[in-house]
Amino acid sequence: MQLNFVKRLAITAVITASTATAVYADVIDDIKERGVIRVGVKADYKPYGFRDTDGSIVGIEPELAKDVADMLGVDIEYIPVVSSNRMQFLEQGKVDLMIATMTDKPDRRKVVSIVDPNYYSSGTNILALESLGLKEWSDLKGKPVCGIQGAFYNKATSQNYGAKIVAFKGTAEAYAALKAGNCAAFVYDDSAIVAKTKDPEWAGYEMPLATIDDAPWGLAVQLGEDKFHAMMSGIIIAWHKSGRILDLETKWGVTNTPFAKTMNEK
Amino acid sequence: MKHHPYKTDLPVMLPFKPVETESFGSTIKLWYVVPILALILGTSAIAQSGSDIRLGALQTLMRWMPLLLQGFIFNVLISVMAMAIGTGLGAALGIGQLSLNRFVRSSSWLLTQFFRNAPWLVLLFFAMFLLPFEVNVFGIIIPLPDWVKATIGLALPVMANVSEIIRGAVLSLPSGQWEAAESLAYSRRQTLWLIILPQCLKRMLPPWMNLYAILTMATVLASIVGVSEVMTLTGEALAAEGGRPDLLAPFYAFVLLIFFVYCYPIARLTVRLERKFSVIN
Repeated sequence: MQLNFVKRLAITAVITASTATAVYADVIDDIKERGVIRVGVKADYKPYGFRDTDGSIVGIEPELAKDVADMLGVDIEYIPVVSSNRMQFLEQGKVDLMIATMTDKPDRRKVVSIVDPNYYSSGTNILALESLGLKEWSDLKGKPVCGIQGAFYNKATSQNYGAKIVAFKGTAEAYAALKAGNCAAFVYDDSAIVAKTKDPEWAGYEMPLATIDDAPWGLAVQLGEDKFHAMMSGIIIAWHKSGRILDLETKWGVTNTPFAKTMNEK
Repeated sequence: MKHHPYKTDLPVMLPFKPVETESFGSTIKLWYVVPILALILGTSAIAQSGSDIRLGALQTLMRWMPLLLQGFIFNVLISVMAMAIGTGLGAALGIGQLSLNRFVRSSSWLLTQFFRNAPWLVLLFFAMFLLPFEVNVFGIIIPLPDWVKATIGLALPVMANVSEIIRGAVLSLPSGQWEAAESLAYSRRQTLWLIILPQCLKRMLPPWMNLYAILTMATVLASIVGVSEVMTLTGEALAAEGGRPDLLAPFYAFVLLIFFVYCYPIARLTVRLERKFSVIN
């Protein structure tokens, strides 16, 4: 079944690629010559990209990257990236492809070539004590709110709703700060927060607000890599059509997101 | 009056007995590790009583231990290489500071002062973002992975500190050594290489080892620039465990412990050498 899927991907991609025009820089040839595709993925963002105890990087995005490698018939090398260096790595050519939970933003499109359609989407919400009785985003005004360094919604939360953002390096630190009462709420991806509210350890905590900033995620290639861009575009369409994204969500314990469902139906 | 072994009425100077100073390091015993161990066990015990369904904190830590230790080996590798590069360059710079040529002397001094007074993290950032990820040497592409760049970034302050250690050691020798050598018709170079530097070596050893211990502890700075060393891996392991707050303390305590176990013997040895080489002038 896996091979079948890859074959289907290959056909779609070849058709799309052959229609692409203006090829001046071609990273696909480089990858094939090298025999390895270098993909930038997250290593601290469960379940999209995280470390296994043996040190290897696993998760939804590494599996998607593996599909691309299989399609090109090359080996894969995962390069762990963080929000602050992922676009730079791509610009430098240190990675050929970046699938790293990056939100698709117009200013980012100027730096790297984000491939349409978007492969995933997530929104922003908060985790907070039920006893606080938060109802609106504006209730956060003047309150300390924990966040993760480099997340785009930190700025939105502080500017639009007047929250005081306390940014941490990792989720563990942020959750610990929330438990210790250092902040009123933790602003993060809604899918992760839903999972937390079901956890008995977080009894008494809720996701009280309406999800905002439901923003699509974009995987990216270097600017000017039109052929590779077109190929990836075909692959993403195939991922959606075949239900690959939905399968991966289920496999890694994420409730199927509305975005993935709609894209599958389209 | 106190009874002295030398019985004489004459006002003679008693033999000088150096006062044994107990430095702080020498009073630390290895059992000081116990509080850290207790912290790991204590915090994980609390964690265990909290949740019965999931693996306890200690078991979780055990599962990640091989990976974390691998990461620590990486820290050691970075520290050893940065020390080697820094010592090589620093030796040249230190001798340059003693040169009779004014240009060499002043430029060595400037370089030393510049890198000695720069924050290590800033130098690290410069090395990370200014060096390319691969260099092309006559058609051969040599990759420069992140950890190599971090090594270079950390080697720079080490270089400047080694340079000062050498200059200080040479200046600490009594000038009579230079004069005696001159009277025996040694050239300046011969004096430096055959008489001065050999005497300096043992004076330089303790501060040099001290610098190494400090460097080793500074390698965790590389986690800020994304090198997969022990600190980065600890963060990633915590994320992979779903950000459980109860794991924070045991995991970071474990990192403290491995650094302590590695650096403590170096500190002990330094103290011993310091005492052995201490010069009474």
